[in-house]
Amino acid sequence: MDDTRDRLARCFAAVFPSLPVDSIARAGVSNTEGWDSVASVTLIATIEEEFGIELDIQDLAELISFEKILDYLQQNPRKAGH
Amino acid sequence: MKLIEALNILREEQPQDTQAFRLSLVCGFTPLHLATFLNAQLRLLLSGRRVELLSAGLYGDFLGNLEKAGESEADAIVMEWGDLDSRLGIRGLGSWAPKNLDDVIRNVRAQASKVRQAIEANSANKCVAVSLPTLPLPPVSFAPGWQASAFDLELRACISSLALELARVANVRIINPERLDRLSPLSERLDIKSELVSGFPYKLPHASTVAELLSRLVVPATPKKGLITDLDDTLWDGILGEVGTQGISWDLDHHSHMHGAYQRLLHAFAEAGVLIGVASKNDSAEVAKALERQDLILPASALFPVEAHWHPKSESVSRIIKAWNVGADSVVFIDDSPMELAEVKAVHPEVECILFPKDDPREIDDLFRGLRDLFGKSALSEEDAIRRESLRRAPAETLTDANHNGGGEEFLRQADAELTLSFSKDPVDPRALELINKTNQFNLNGKRHTESSWQHLLCEPDTILLVAAYRDKYGPLGKIAVLAGRKTKAKIQIDTWVMSCRAFSRRVEHRCIEELFDRFDVKEIEFDFQSTPKNGPVREFLAAMLGETPTGRCFLSRDQFSRHAGRTFHRVLEASHG
Repeated sequence: MDDTRDRLARCFAAVFPSLPVDSIARAGVSNTEGWDSVASVTLIATIEEEFGIELDIQDLAELISFEKILDYLQQNPRKAGH
Repeated sequence: MKLIEALNILREEQPQDTQAFRLSLVCGFTPLHLATFLNAQLRLLLSGRRVELLSAGLYGDFLGNLEKAGESEADAIVMEWGDLDSRLGIRGLGSWAPKNLDDVIRNVRAQASKVRQAIEANSANKCVAVSLPTLPLPPVSFAPGWQASAFDLELRACISSLALELARVANVRIINPERLDRLSPLSERLDIKSELVSGFPYKLPHASTVAELLSRLVVPATPKKGLITDLDDTLWDGILGEVGTQGISWDLDHHSHMHGAYQRLLHAFAEAGVLIGVASKNDSAEVAKALERQDLILPASALFPVEAHWHPKSESVSRIIKAWNVGADSVVFIDDSPMELAEVKAVHPEVECILFPKDDPREIDDLFRGLRDLFGKSALSEEDAIRRESLRRAPAETLTDANHNGGGEEFLRQADAELTLSFSKDPVDPRALELINKTNQFNLNGKRHTESSWQHLLCEPDTILLVAAYRDKYGPLGKIAVLAGRKTKAKIQIDTWVMSCRAFSRRVEHRCIEELFDRFDVKEIEFDFQSTPKNGPVREFLAAMLGETPTGRCFLSRDQFSRHAGRTFHRVLEASHG
């Protein structure tokens, strides 16, 4: 599971370059500078590519923080490429 | 390239003290990841230069975005079927009824014509790279998918016509659809979910591939200049020393056809100005006899020099590079022996050493494509056609330093040299830009130009330009020197000065400076000299004129020049234009 967390953190670091490393775990739409609709699309595409998965369109609206995305990947291990 | 890799490249700090390379990305969809990949690819290719990507525009208004492309050095234009008629895109819901198909075709034709005009207009002063529709056509036609309908073929013919017209426009370069097909299979391109959710129609690998090819069109690699080939089991099949002149072969009958195909490729290269030399461990008399065979696809006249003896091939490569007077990094060496390749590589690490896979026709075919990529160029010049002959005719004296007073004086006097000078800035001479961007040794500061930055420079009213062409009794060398700079009240500032290595030892550089002093009647010339790892020849020239080695920007007075310049014997003509 730590591997999933690390890989997800790398995706966040790439999409939000100004986000301090120690803030990634707490990152969310409301507290992360630059997390707009374009960043959301880029983040989802990066995660899909990194984990070799395709996220359901109806799930996208819920994936609004690092923790929620991590939960999603951990609860859907097949989707997370495990 | 993966998206996360591209994003990480974009996180790296860009140099701030350089002029930015500005590229307009024009498309009718949301550019999203395509912009990310393109930006990252350009940063890799232009390391050391700041990259700015301009991609503003309205979704769905491809033509409007094209006409509004911003002030940039180059445009990257990415067109899809939906940009030509919205009924050909997934998001458009216009009718596919058979009665409407003719209208779709009419509309596509009309739109393609407008696109051509807009791209031609944009390309007037900058490079334009174009990606024509890459996505599969939707099933609009009433015919089943396995049948090529007249409707589909009509649309593709329209795109083919557009591509042909654009390919003939100077400054326009089009992605080769065949290369795109090899790198990005048609079925792996369209991402319908992404198109519906975010308006971005490409799967990530396809976006990455399109971006990579566009960036190569916008920032083309410098073509290699010379190819050194082995003979036995490479240029021909068989070991000459074992089977003799009649035993070597390159045809279907002897199952050695791919050696003939290799000869054909090298012949095409030679005719396009690539230098072809030979490095072979062989008896020189045997090789000379073999090269007399009239059925060679690559005639012996295309080979210069031929190094055939039993010494290490690295020695042969050294001599060939010296005879060509080119940098080792512009040379490719091909041999069927991994050991010979390793021996050459150890001595010449900058030479690209490539194995000739003599037993595998498919790998040889791949080799051909790879060589085309290494030596390919967008257009050929007159100089390409005369390069080999001018080297072959050059007497031994010209390969030594005849600039210094003494031994070379008599040679220069009897050479019957003629220098044709052009001071015209219009029309833009592509050969001048080519020289600037490929010359390393006699290069004032190593600075390069894009088509756009070069054209902008020439448009400035105080810019001066001198292009020199040379010929002597040994033959023409073509245009071999370019000087560019600015004229102020009392002096000339030279920012760009390059001279082909083929023109060394003829005192062309002395004569060019003399002409600048005379024509512009100034007392001083300022040189924006910057030392590079390779520009020793220009440093030595300036040191000889100044009396000290330059370390940066330097000034040469007319008096200094008169005291130190060598005597010249050129007959000087001024080029006529118009």
